[in-house]
Amino acid sequence: MLVDFELVKRAREGDHAAFTQLVQAYRKRILGTIARLIGRPEDVEDVGQEVFLRLYFSLDQLRSEEVFEPWLYRLTVNAAYDYLRRQRRRGEARMADLSEQHVMLADAAAGSRAQQEEQRRRQVRETVQALLANVSEQDRILLVLKEIEGLSLKELEKIYRVNENALKVRLFRARQRVLKALAAQGATARAKGSA
Amino acid sequence: MDPREAELERLLAAYREACPDPEPSLDFMPRLWERIEGQRSWAREWRRLTEVLVGAAVALSLLLGVVLARREPPVSFYTSTYVEVLAANYSQEGPLDPEVLAVDQEIPQ
Repeated sequence: MLVDFELVKRAREGDHAAFTQLVQAYRKRILGTIARLIGRPEDVEDVGQEVFLRLYFSLDQLRSEEVFEPWLYRLTVNAAYDYLRRQRRRGEARMADLSEQHVMLADAAAGSRAQQEEQRRRQVRETVQALLANVSEQDRILLVLKEIEGLSLKELEKIYRVNENALKVRLFRARQRVLKALAAQGATARAKGSA
Repeated sequence: MDPREAELERLLAAYREACPDPEPSLDFMPRLWERIEGQRSWAREWRRLTEVLVGAAVALSLLLGVVLARREPPVSFYTSTYVEVLAANYSQEGPLDPEVLAVDQEIPQ
């Protein structure tokens, strides 16, 4: 826990200062998780705001202060899921599908070492986003929380309120799909290289 | 470990490093409080509207109750039962004529 239970209790009782402290303590971590979940840096803050807005209006439903973190993660997962679903409905391109023009401009500008490093990071982000695009939004979120955020199965169990075995099965299947996509990507790259 | 698995592990670790926690913008908290206030005022408006509607419904019900209670009772055609009317007539006219009774008794069965 990044804060003590007393602060959560005060926020639950309607103390605005306590709620502000709560948000300030968690916002960076939550924004980071959202960034890795949705893969669109420009929308991270909006989704983050949605999470804390939902937190404000649902704090009174919190059973006890001890379950605050899983509760906050559940709100994060739900907000990220809603966002990804909206994006799919709109048919917008994901970060992995950035226009070629953007990439070429960035490549041309990548002269300095810092820029090269940023370019490398962008490539990693795009590659992983493209791989994660092969699984459903729900599995993508689960996979990110487990494999990238490093949450344990026990923590995921509390967030999803699903038993550990069901989570293991879903994770295994999602991972297999990503591995399959990775193999296909490698085959495509090899085919391009030999052509 | 399967090389593909190892490659995925490496990629995911690199992704974690390539996506650091972003710094929240300076207006994060003011914007959040603005949105909270916006929703709260909307909820307040909605509650106020609901209260007005409920109040109006209660007032209308009371008004209808008063109007119905003060209305003249409807004119009724029958104030007593058939048997009561018959009994009243009988007592006014007195007992039946003995001749009529005798005729009745003479009718063969």
